Amino acid sequence: MVASFDTHLFWEVLRSEPYWRGALLAIALTCASLGAAFLLGFPLALGRASRQPVVRSLVFLYSWFFRATPTLLLLIIVWDVIPQQFTVFTQNWFTPFLAAFIALSLNEAAYMAEIIRAGLLAVDPGQELAGRALGMRRWQILRRVIVPQAVRIVIPPTGNEFITLLKLTSLASVISVHELLTAANEQASVSFSYREVYGAALVYYLVIVSVLMFLQSRLERRFTFRSRSRGAATPVGLAAAAHDAR
Amino acid sequence: MTETVLRAEGVHKSYDGLPVLQGVSLEVGRGEVKVIIGPSGSGKSTFLRSLALLEPVDAGQVYLEGEQVSGLKEKELATHRSEIGMVFQRFNLFQNMTALGNVMVALRDVRRLPKGEARERALEFLARVGLRDKADNYPEELSGGQQQRVAIARALVMRPKAMLFDEPTSALDVELVREVLDVMEGLARDGMTMVVVSHELRFAHHVASSILMMDEGKIIEEAPPEQFFSAPSHDRTKRFLALVEQP
Repeated sequence: MVASFDTHLFWEVLRSEPYWRGALLAIALTCASLGAAFLLGFPLALGRASRQPVVRSLVFLYSWFFRATPTLLLLIIVWDVIPQQFTVFTQNWFTPFLAAFIALSLNEAAYMAEIIRAGLLAVDPGQELAGRALGMRRWQILRRVIVPQAVRIVIPPTGNEFITLLKLTSLASVISVHELLTAANEQASVSFSYREVYGAALVYYLVIVSVLMFLQSRLERRFTFRSRSRGAATPVGLAAAAHDAR
Repeated sequence: MTETVLRAEGVHKSYDGLPVLQGVSLEVGRGEVKVIIGPSGSGKSTFLRSLALLEPVDAGQVYLEGEQVSGLKEKELATHRSEIGMVFQRFNLFQNMTALGNVMVALRDVRRLPKGEARERALEFLARVGLRDKADNYPEELSGGQQQRVAIARALVMRPKAMLFDEPTSALDVELVREVLDVMEGLARDGMTMVVVSHELRFAHHVASSILMMDEGKIIEEAPPEQFFSAPSHDRTKRFLALVEQP
């Protein structure tokens, strides 16, 4: 006889402090790591196109190392291996959260660099040419023209990276970061009610990703360059333009 | 004799050892309109880009109002580029900006004008190309002809010493060509110094001070329109004119 699903326990666990704390921690770790990866990935992306061979090689080495190293191993390296070598990292300020943040950021930056590079390359070279013809400097063209257009291209794969990273945060449990899945495992080990306990964890992940997807679509619309009054997706502007043609 | 605005002297340019420009010289006086024609691959576009200082030349010089402007450092080049207006075949409007934004951006970033002033002047120039009411539209909401007119306004607003047009109508549907040519004719009438790469021979006939024939990286013939069309001296020109529509 299979025991019936304990709805009461499910709700209990869903609302329990370790769960929402764990979820917040997972979200915080994901956002922080993705943000840092973005900031680090941008110069890496530019470095790949650098005129200096040394810079290109360094960027290649970075990308090669962090893509080849399993994330779990990287977490262990940052948390266990490095402090053994450098004792500064044994002090109190070096928390598991910080270690996870560093490992995930470094890892993710290698992927973000590729995404950003593809985004920059996808912008029509005619855009830069027009900027130069007007006397704009390279950084001005980058900031005003290339980056805003690359952002639109970069948003969907970055959304994917967010989701991947969110799931990877569960690996941080091995270095005793109390994220969501750690909380679920602890619950499971006391109650043995796997369906309720992991079901509740699943709900959290589903909700987080749903919210992300909503925000992503808003952001995509924000970086679609049409005037608001003309409606979002339909090429009304084109029809109006054709009508206007003399 | 009118004052020379733009002058190129013996411009050479190769890509991977392949010669594209083989000693091209040109002199454009104030208010003159020079139309360059020639088969594809003859180096017209490359030459125009050299004049716009977008393409470093291997040998030869470009002078703007008597001052040598080729072969300078990037910073000085950028300054001189802003004094030469360039209009591209494919418009190259900044896709992330409205028509107004496109016309304003270099006034802000290059000329360092305050926002209000830049906006005012940009709107004035949009009005000049008849697109004041499209100020808030993004490029993809405009027809090709309208986009090209915005691109002309974007170049004009910098008050350039000369305007360069690289096949400005060849990416346009036939019914949109006229509106762009009208704007260009207006500019010519107002005394703008222009170099136009185009196969709009009717436009060339009406507007050009002289027409230049380019072939294999050289200017092989230059003559006033009447003479160019009625009595071309070069055989290559005769053959080329026989292939394209007569004005």
